[in-house]
Amino acid sequence: MSADESIEAAPAETFAIGISFGNSNSSIAYTSGEGKAEVIANEEGDRQIPSFLSYIEGEEYHGAQAKSQLVRNSKNTVAYFRDYIGKDFDSIDPTPCHASAHAQKHESTIAFSVQDTNSDSPSTLSVSEIATRHIRRLASSASDFLGKKVNAAVLTIPTNFSDEQKEALSESAKNAGIEILQFISEPVAAVLAYDARAEAIISDKIVVVADLGGIRSDVAVVASRGGMYSILSTAHDYETAGTQLDQVLIDHFAKEFIKKHKTDPRQNERSLAKLKLEAEATKKALSLGSSASLSVESLADGVDFSSTINRTRYELLGGKVFSGFIRLIEEAVRKADLDVLDINEVILSGGTSHTPLIARRLTSLFPQTTNILSPSTLASALNPSELPSRGAAIQASLISAYDPSDIAQNTHPALTATPHLSRAIGVLVISDSESRGVFKPLLEAETAVPARRAGLFAVPGGGGDVLVKVCEGQREIKVSKPEPKSKSKPQVNGKAGSEDDGDEDDDEDEEEEEEEEIRETIWKVGTVLAEAAIRATKKGAKVEVTVNVGADLGVTITAREVGGKGGVRGQLLEKGGGGRENGSA
Amino acid sequence: MAAVQVQLPLPVLPEGWSAEKDFKAIGTLSPATQRNIEPVGPHFLAHARRKRHRRTFSEDDR
Ligand SMILES: Nc1ncnc2c1ncn2[C@@H]1O[C@H](COP(=O)(O)OP(=O)(O)OP(=O)(O)O)[C@@H](O)[C@H]1O
Ligand SMILES: [Mg+2]
Repeated sequence: MSADESIEAAPAETFAIGISFGNSNSSIAYTSGEGKAEVIANEEGDRQIPSFLSYIEGEEYHGAQAKSQLVRNSKNTVAYFRDYIGKDFDSIDPTPCHASAHAQKHESTIAFSVQDTNSDSPSTLSVSEIATRHIRRLASSASDFLGKKVNAAVLTIPTNFSDEQKEALSESAKNAGIEILQFISEPVAAVLAYDARAEAIISDKIVVVADLGGIRSDVAVVASRGGMYSILSTAHDYETAGTQLDQVLIDHFAKEFIKKHKTDPRQNERSLAKLKLEAEATKKALSLGSSASLSVESLADGVDFSSTINRTRYELLGGKVFSGFIRLIEEAVRKADLDVLDINEVILSGGTSHTPLIARRLTSLFPQTTNILSPSTLASALNPSELPSRGAAIQASLISAYDPSDIAQNTHPALTATPHLSRAIGVLVISDSESRGVFKPLLEAETAVPARRAGLFAVPGGGGDVLVKVCEGQREIKVSKPEPKSKSKPQVNGKAGSEDDGDEDDDEDEEEEEEEEIRETIWKVGTVLAEAAIRATKKGAKVEVTVNVGADLGVTITAREVGGKGGVRGQLLEKGGGGRENGSA
Repeated sequence: MAAVQVQLPLPVLPEGWSAEKDFKAIGTLSPATQRNIEPVGPHFLAHARRKRHRRTFSEDDR
């Protein structure tokens, strides 16, 4: 034993939470004894804590209190800095900070010049230092709430955060007394938040996570296979997010103000800051009610202003922004080489996802079979703003007992880089002919190996000898014109199919009356992999077929009559010969 | 994951079908796609444990 080791104090117990750290808001969560994730409110009672710091006479303000300083003390208020962490000035867009302390070039990094002490000259605070102060405040709120010192966390990051950014963020957290156990990506955290609920049933599904935030929107298409997640595609947009919706309302109310008072409140910094804060509050109120008011004391030239707007008007005015969200989602689906018909679930995440119109638009974009998980479409939906932090808290509870070296191993490509099936594997039913048989998938495409799935199949009327024909299958989209006379609504609809719920039409061109195509997914049977016979099955029997694909892509198939004796077991020939032995199970 | 239930019946064994031990290997899998699985969630952790200990599903079931 080395001298160093002997004097080292026993390592402090790890007490970890989940943190989501956005450019606009942060959120902290923990898991209760029963493994349920709970979001923590800070001292002000906020569960969405603005990622803002502000300084007045040397005193630090955080969260909502700091955000309100945008009106009077914008120069000493730091906001929208998360994406700058670990970046150099030349690679960033400084515009989100134009109404608060400006992002500046500082050595190899970015800094803010802020009067954070009582001295006369401002300090230059690097983005790392700002992040440390912010995380310290979050951790202290969590510690106060939980009555125990938090010293570790799982933290969510966008899918396009670089290794340098992770490293810088880790360092910032460490300086705040928080060990980052693991970074997990925001969309995957959202999927986990839903999957970890007690009532969730783990199934094979394709999930679109639309994370619509304040200054950015991110979409990811995730293959969820037996509770394991692989990201198939991502799309990002820094010009279509909550800020643009705020702007729609700012412009609307500014025009109204100009009409009455001949002054544009957007021309004056302080007036604009007031209007922006209130417009955001109005926007949030419009997610709940069919109309909302706005009132600002002394908006400009000492004139008070108050007005109301109804939701329909707002939805019309914001049409371009809303269409932008839809386009981003379509782009991500396309990038994954998928069709809207392939999407089983859409998780609406991020603050802007509270907007009912977005869910409504998605209901008409996707077929009826797609579950849209949002507050306005599903009573049991989780709060979109809380998904990442909940997911992070669940992951924290899963790994907080692990050694750091185990976590490092788990997140290393040696463990995560995995072959995924490019085609589904399934069984033909009804007919043994590849053209007439119906393909029933057991393992879906994009399943990581090793993987195993089983199916219980019926036998023909009287039982007897049956054939188990295992094939690959490929999903295809079949497009057809509906029967001319039929009045029934098509099962599925593509883009054109916004046969809405009677609401007023969106501001998009209407091509009604034109016959709608019917688009549906069908399975095309591909390579036949193997055949097996199950003999003398009883009337009404069930045959269980299990397909197991090993880590080396070796395939083992077993088939047996449920409750019967024996059964058949065999392995596929490996590519390039080298047949394997077959035998009875 | 639970077994899927399929109501449509398996085809009748064609006349004259025979194979050693009633199993016939015919084709090979299409080439796989290399991707990263996200190191997140309880099912991944079970996967990682199996991979590190080189265990199969059935060994893990025991
Ligand atoms: N109920 C609501 N209805 C509509 N918009 C809302 C609602 N609640 C929050 N928002 C908006 O959501 C945005 C913030 O979203 P979120 O907290 O997910 O952002 P973030 O991930 O912290 O930030 P960013 O996307 O900027 O990195 C803001 O524009 C806010 O106005
Ligand atoms: Mg976000």
